[in-house]
Parts: sequence; structure tokens; C-alpha cells
Amino acid sequence: MSRGRAMAALPPPRSTWDAINPLRLLGELSETRYWMYLLLLPSALLITAIVLFPTVYGFQLSFTEMRLNRPAGNGAFVGLKHYQRMLADPIFWLSLRNTAVWVTFSILIEFVVGLVAALALNRNLWGGKVLAVLILVPYFLPNVVAGNMWALMLDSRVGVINDILVNIGLLQEYKAWFADPNTAMATAIFVEAWHSFPFFTLLIMAGLKGIPTDLYKAADIDGAGAFAQLRLITLPMLRTIIAAAVILRVIGLVNSPDLLLILTQGGPGRSTQVLSLYAFQNAYSDFNFGYAGALSVVMFVLLMLFAWAYIRLSKVNQD
Amino acid sequence: MTAKFDRRSVLKLGGGMLAASALLPHQAFAQQTAINYWHTFTSQSEAAGLQAVLDLFKAAHPDVAVTPENIPNPEFMAKITAAVVGGSRPNVTMVSSERFEDLLAMGALSDMTDRIAGWERRGDFDDKRFASITKDGKTYGVPGFTFVDWGYYRKDWFDEAGLAAPTTYDEFRDAAIKLTDASKGRFGFGLRGGPGGQNFVVNVIEAFGSPVKKEDGTIGLDRDIVVKALDWYAGLLVKDKAVPPSAANDGFQQVISGFQTGQTAMIWHHTGSYQDIASKLKPGVEFGTFAMPAGPATRVARLAYAYNCITNDENADAAWEWIKFWGEPDAAVAFLEKTGYMPASTVAAQDQRIVGNPMYKAAADTLGFGIPQPSFPGAAGWAQNTVLPALQQILIGQATPDQAADQIIEGLAAAIA
Amino acid sequence: MATLSIKGVRKSFGAVEVLNNIDIEVEDGGFLVLLGPSGCGKSTLLAIIAGLEPSSGGDILIGDKNVNDVHPKDRNIAMVFQSYALYPTMPVRRNIGFGLEMRKVDAKEREAAVQRAAELLQIEHLLDRKPGQLSGGQRQRVAMGRAIVRNPDLFLFDEPLSNLDAKLRVEMRTEIKRLHDRLGTTTVYVTHDQVEALTLGTKVAVMKGGVIQQLADPETIYDRPANMFVAGFIGSPTMNFLTGMLEHGDGGLVLRHAAGSLALVGLEQDVAAFVGREVVAGIRPETLNAGQGAAGLQGIVDVVEPTGPDTMVIVSVGGQLLTARLGPKVRPKPGDTLNLSVDTAAINLFDPVTGNRI
Repeated sequence: MSRGRAMAALPPPRSTWDAINPLRLLGELSETRYWMYLLLLPSALLITAIVLFPTVYGFQLSFTEMRLNRPAGNGAFVGLKHYQRMLADPIFWLSLRNTAVWVTFSILIEFVVGLVAALALNRNLWGGKVLAVLILVPYFLPNVVAGNMWALMLDSRVGVINDILVNIGLLQEYKAWFADPNTAMATAIFVEAWHSFPFFTLLIMAGLKGIPTDLYKAADIDGAGAFAQLRLITLPMLRTIIAAAVILRVIGLVNSPDLLLILTQGGPGRSTQVLSLYAFQNAYSDFNFGYAGALSVVMFVLLMLFAWAYIRLSKVNQD
Repeated sequence: MTAKFDRRSVLKLGGGMLAASALLPHQAFAQQTAINYWHTFTSQSEAAGLQAVLDLFKAAHPDVAVTPENIPNPEFMAKITAAVVGGSRPNVTMVSSERFEDLLAMGALSDMTDRIAGWERRGDFDDKRFASITKDGKTYGVPGFTFVDWGYYRKDWFDEAGLAAPTTYDEFRDAAIKLTDASKGRFGFGLRGGPGGQNFVVNVIEAFGSPVKKEDGTIGLDRDIVVKALDWYAGLLVKDKAVPPSAANDGFQQVISGFQTGQTAMIWHHTGSYQDIASKLKPGVEFGTFAMPAGPATRVARLAYAYNCITNDENADAAWEWIKFWGEPDAAVAFLEKTGYMPASTVAAQDQRIVGNPMYKAAADTLGFGIPQPSFPGAAGWAQNTVLPALQQILIGQATPDQAADQIIEGLAAAIA
Repeated sequence: MATLSIKGVRKSFGAVEVLNNIDIEVEDGGFLVLLGPSGCGKSTLLAIIAGLEPSSGGDILIGDKNVNDVHPKDRNIAMVFQSYALYPTMPVRRNIGFGLEMRKVDAKEREAAVQRAAELLQIEHLLDRKPGQLSGGQRQRVAMGRAIVRNPDLFLFDEPLSNLDAKLRVEMRTEIKRLHDRLGTTTVYVTHDQVEALTLGTKVAVMKGGVIQQLADPETIYDRPANMFVAGFIGSPTMNFLTGMLEHGDGGLVLRHAAGSLALVGLEQDVAAFVGREVVAGIRPETLNAGQGAAGLQGIVDVVEPTGPDTMVIVSVGGQLLTARLGPKVRPKPGDTLNLSVDTAAINLFDPVTGNRI
């Protein structure tokens, strides 16, 4: 730094070398306001490369004709063609509705079960540490493993779940859970909830550690029962963490088709067809990347709207 | 101005360093050529078959190291698309005939015409074997083995009921109805209405008399025939009740295990599941095999090939050695014995170990009259994303055959548009 | 309002004895201070009184009622926590009224009670704020408001002032005293600050290691500490200990120490049994005065610490360091020889073996 100043104080350069001497120029540069931008450049480039470029490319794709198995005409700008098609596409609307059901009920169950598990584990009961690890196991299973495991357990011929349900008399005969449109979505949601509720457990447990125990003592003395304490202390104190968990999970649920890909592939008869799966099929079995891009953009916009509305409604930003 | 100059030089410097670091970890010695092989084998028997071929190849070609990479079928197109677009192509890829047009269109395949023409075993193969990997006079792969469509039936049940293996759709339906006994939890036919079941729907439509791709190359369907075909096929469940109620979600695993566990009396598949079935049921006693029955208009049994294709120009010579090796009779028979997949080479198919086995008769017959899957860009996506859901909707009572036929026909029009 | 009786209360965590047979009686309207260093068991005792922790034995009686098996909410107590434990998501008004709300007191009555408490504590203008928007002192007031609004039998304070800065602490101490004078509610107050204990308590229990060292009114605790622990814990600067032999001198008993002897004039204790043995004399710094007197000590000035109103002079008497609290004008220099007169009537003699007052 001091060197930079010393150089700046020198008389004007006398030789041509001085005019292009990189060290001298670098020194001068470090004294200007551009220096800051120069230092930011590497991270800006990185962000541009890994975040901005794919996002912009995805948007651009949605206005482009891009069918990998029909090279002629690819790359042409087609304006809102894909979006117009979408409006008239009954499968899109069905997928949108199914996505709403899939996400809403999955989140609800995951949150409630995750909360109950976290509250139970937070009591430091005997064996709680072992239980805490066990309860997290589902989350560590890859989707593929969890999906295939449940597909097998729910199988209408050899599935152990059917066996149990028939034996305890809840079912008359083995049921093909994923072949009946009335149970396919619910069963898929059950598997999804089983797989991901530990995510809520994990985050809520972390949040619970941050709530001062004095608050519960004070509430005990004030006469608040367990439910009132949950409603008036625990949940409000967890608001930020719950909001973060819900948003992350909604993003995951909206974007990731892998569990449904294994369990149902959208069937039977599209009764579990969701947007992510539809986009996936459009891209990788119809090779229509333009339309798939448009579907992704719609999902992206819906997610942004959801996150914005949710943050506003849950008042996470307050105090 | 000075600021700009400097920023640029800093960038250049950084770029130079990146390039230098990329060059550093280069292999200094490479006696052995390493290639990777993308395949979609799933079952244990298939894995054993691949291993048998790999072992033979390793002994014969110590200079080439093959790394097999399993790509699950549902993810295959996504992975290969990403690899092609992203420039991380595998050296050799197993390509089923129905995927040829799509992969060719996206530029995944290398022209292998000259290599094949100069191959000493080219004469072992019937020209037809190359038909579904050839376009505009250029050939892009060599068949590794053959998928021969056929059926399995419970011989013991058929004998008990005094029935013979079906040769027509009518006989097939009668047998399915007769062998259904709900009180025993037994069904005549294990219909594949879940993932992978789409091709059988197309087969039935064609067997009823409406080919998807006509001889003149035009693509289209006859609505009345499609309705009839769907009514018959889905009717096996919704009217005849001769199919397990789980059909709409039954994929490969479910259909096979349904037959293995004695839930179903007949299933349709190809020869590749022979060892899986034979591991649970006694060949010739408890189960038998039959050629796909003839439909009202024509007999449709598919012959499809798993082609091995060069998908990367690098180490293409080593890749070619590996691809050629599948044509060796020893390799082909070793693979058959582990899996049940028929050799693609006519010479290998004449092997005594095959023609001497009565269980393979249905397959050998089918090699004579079998036909390839209709193939055009978009065919696979249409079958998977339109035909299958349409069938499922009939199976679960959400659509009539008429409505489903409309979906199928409209979907086809959209797919080829 | 009620009396509080703690009878033989014990508490152990496994093999660790945290409270050992605690017996305390607090009269109606009394102010009991539990004083001791951290880990002495005072907060545990308070939690047992509140019912937040079970005891391992003994009884707690509020009024005549044994509350051993009574839930905290039914003990009719109110508690102020060191952390204030205000509900962060509720405005001050609801925080104060929360106990009433939970007891299903109707809204109008509740509002009036909150208003009264707020006026008493001068926090009416804060009622609609959230705790996060308040300063430490304001939160302290809200916490007190929450305690007084219900008009409980018993106030429990758990180190309520230790999170405040020095100035506020003094201010709030006065506030608590005023409140107690005004409301007259029986109070138990836990602190490690001996000034709070002496200023607030009508009764102080000095605790160490789960045992009550002395239970008495503040004057007794200060003037006649029961043992050297209490003597050393109470008072700032701390009490001087001068070790010497107790002997019969010309005019009575004398303490013969390394640098001479000190006539023990007007000693209140009966120390006959200790004549001829070593004892420890506890001398408060303020009972030492500059100049010669009936009884006196001579020493060499070690350090001089002017504090404004007083000058603390540390003197070496035959190698034992004593602190004298002298007037503001006294300014000896280190190394000077200094004569100190001693108010020997205020001296306490301790048994050096047991540490107990003779």
C-alpha cells in the first residue's frame, strides 16, 4: 500500500517501459476504487458460471425450439409458443394439481411427525441418543433405495405391509397400493413423508436447543399446560427454522421427481403425475427440451411466489 | 483504460494457470487401453452374463481394460443425453433398437459402417440384424444379443386343465379366463401395465391390424382398430378379471415375481428372463415357453437387439475389439447360459447348446417370423408417456377404450409433429 | 401472603449431594436471601421451592400447606428469572398478563391488573412493545410486573440483577426493596452478591456446598459471622484475619501475634477454653483507625488505594496483611510505619481448626 502511494507521488513516467510496467500499473490500480471490483471478480465469475448462467439458459430454452431428436429447426426463437401450449395442455394442469396435493400433504405430515419426533427426542430420555440416530436413518437412505424398499414392502404379492395389515384384520386381501388411483398418491405421500420427516426432526431439534429452558419454567409457573407451551412458546420460537425447513422441503418436493419415478412413474393413468416428472419426461423421453424448459420456468416462478408469500405470511422477518 | 488492461492480464494469468493444472495429472504410461461400457443390465442373471463375457474378453484381450457401468433403465436417456451434451461420453454404449433413432438424432453415435464391412465375422450375421441400427446406408452398431419376445406359461396348470399353450389371441384369452381362480388368488395373465408395459400395447394394436409405421413410411393409426385392440387387451382385466388388480403398477419385477410365486398362469416377456424363471420353477414341468400368439390380423412378436455402439471417438479401436467380441460364439453362448438371451449371430444361434434344448424352441421359431419394433424419432417417448398412461386409465376405470384411443392417436400426432 | 417452611430438604444427583438437610422458616412478609458462591445449591433450593425440580427428601410448606406434590402453577408463586424469561413473541402486555390469561381470568379484569402493575413499575408506555425492543432494565421491570400482577403468596427471585450493569443494578435493587415494602409479599431471593443480601434481606441464609453456614438477620451475619467462611464472604473489602496466641495479659486477654500483642478489650465472646491456644481474630477493615488507641497494632504500609470516600490501606503486621478502611484525607506512603487503633469490641475470634466462631 505505502509503495503504491510512493509510486503515485513519483513524477510522470519518463520511459515507454514505465508506461506499461505492469507492477507499476498494478500498484496504481490498487489505489483506485476499481481494485475492489477486481478482488470480487473471481467469486463473481464463479457465481455467474454455476448459478446465473444455467438459470438464464433455462429461461432462454423456454423460448426456444429445442428437440434433441429433431435437429432441424433447433435453437429457433419461438416466443411464447411453449407457454401457449402449456395453457391448453390438460396434462400440465393435472400435474399442477397433483403437485399441489403432493407437496401440501407431504409437508404437513413431515412437519407434524418431525415435530413430534423432535419433541420426544429433546426430552433426553434414556436411549434417546440411539433413537435419535435411528430416526435419522430414513433421511440418509438415497431416494432410489428408499423407493425400491417401499415398493417391495408394499408389493401386492410379497409385500410385508400387506401381510401385516391382513393379519391384524385391517385389510381383507392384499392391496396393490400403487395400482389404485385412490391410494396411489396417498401411498406415495406416505413413503415420501417417511423418507423426509427426519429433515424436520433434525432442524427442529437444533431449534429446540436454542430455546431457553427458563421460558418453560416461567410458563410452568404461569400455568401454561404442555399444549399451550407448544403453541405459545415452542412454535413461535421455532418460526424461523420451520419456515426455512418448509421452504427447503417444498423446493425439494416440487423439483425432484426421483421418488415418484421409482414408485409410480406418474401412474396409474397419470394419477401421480407431477410437474417435475412431467418436465423430466418431456426432456428425457420426448427430448423436447424447449417445452421442458418452459415447465421448469413455471415451477421456478411458482416456487419464488410460494417462498415470498410464505415468508410474508409467517412473519419470519419480524423482530 | 489502465484498469481494463490490468484486469485482462490478471484473467489471462489465471486462465493460463488453470490450463497448466489441467495438464499436470496426465498419465505418463498407458500400456493398457481403458474403456468404459454403459449398459442397462438389471437382474442378477444379466449381471452374471455380463461378467462371464468380461472374463472371457479379459483372457483374450489383456491389452484392453473394460469398466462396465450400470445405468438404470429409467435414467438411461437422461444420463446419456447429459453425457453427450456435456462431452463426457462413454466409449461403448449398449443401445436397444427403440432408442436408436433418438440417439442418432442427438449425435451420440459414431458411424461404424467401414469397420463392420471389414470384420471377419460379418458373414455370421444375417443382414436383417443390422436393420434397426442402420439409417441412410450407414450402420452405427453391432448386435450384442437378441431380445426375442415370447411367453411363459404354467405347464402344470395347463396340463391339469387340459389346455395347450395358446397360439392365437382367442386361445390365449380363453386360457387366461379358465385358469383364473380368484378364491386361490390365481390369475390367468400377468399383464404388464406398469413401467415397460407400453410396447406390448403397441404389439396388440399392430396384431389387430393397425401398424404404427406403414410400409411406405407413413406413421398413423386406425382409430377403430386401436379401440378394439385396447378393449381386448385391457378387457382381460376390466371385463374378464383374468389379470391381477395390481396390473396398472406392475413392472418387470412385479410381473416376474407374480409368475414365480404362482399368482399368474401366463406372462409375456422376452427370453432374457428365462434363467430368473427357471431358478424358481422347473423347466418343462412347472413351466413352459410359447411363441407370441397370433392376433386377429397378424402375428406380432418382436425381435429387438441390444446393439453395442461406439459413442466416443477416443480409444475407438479398443472399443471395437470389445464390440466384436460379443459376436464370438463362445461369448454369446456363455451369455445365453447365464441369462437366456439369444445370440445375434446366426452361427452362434446354430450352436448345439441352443438348438438341442426344447425350451428354446419357441425362441428359435420366433427368430423366423419375429419383426422389429416400429422405429422413428419420438417413438419411445410416445409409447412411454402416452400409450402407457392411456392403457392404465382404462385399467383403473378412468377412461374408456375410445377415450384412450384418442389420447394415443393425438399423442402420436404430437410426437411426430 | 403466607409463611414459608423448608423442612429437612435434601437433594442429590446420584452420589452428589447438592443440598443437605436444609431447614429454614420465613415469616409472613419476610424477605429471605439465599446467599453463596456459585454451586452452593441456592438456585436448586429455589427451584425446589418453586416446584420446578423435585427434592430428594424433606418438605416445603407454603402457609400451612405442604406443596411437595403440588404443580408449580398451583403453588400460587411468582418467579423472576436471571434471564427474565420473557416470552419473546408476545408484547409486554400479554407477557405480564400471561399468568392470568392461563388462569382464565376475564379480559377486562386482566387488563386492569396489568395496568396497575405497569403503573407501579412505570412501564405503561412499554406495554405494546415486544421484549426484543426493550433495554435490560426495562425487561427486568416487565419480569417483575409479570410476578406481581398475580398477587401471589410467594415471590421467588433467581439472581434477578446479575445481568444488569452496575448502575442499573443499584437502581433496581432499590426498586425491589420499595416494592417489597409496599406489597409485603413473602420473598425468597437468590444472589451471590452480599450487598444485595444485606440491603434486601430480613433474613439471610449463607450457603456453601449444600449446607447452610449461617441463617440470621443481616446485622448478625455481618457483625457476628458464624464461621470464617461467612466472615470472609460478607463485607467488602473482606474481613481481616490475624492469627495469634490467646493469652492472659496485664489488663485481661491479649492476642500475641508475630509483631506484638493486642489487648482484647470488651470482647463479647466466652473464650476461656482457648487461652493458651492459637486463635484467629477477625477484624473488619472499618474497625481499624489511624492513630494510637487503647488497643493497637503497628505495621508497615504496603499498598495505598484511595477510593474517594475512603482510603484502603494494606498494612503488613508481622508479615500478615491487614486492610484498614481509613478516612479520605489519610494518605500514608508505602514503607511508612503506621499505628492503628482497633475497636476490639467488634472483634470475632475463630477456632483455626474448625473455622467456627468461638
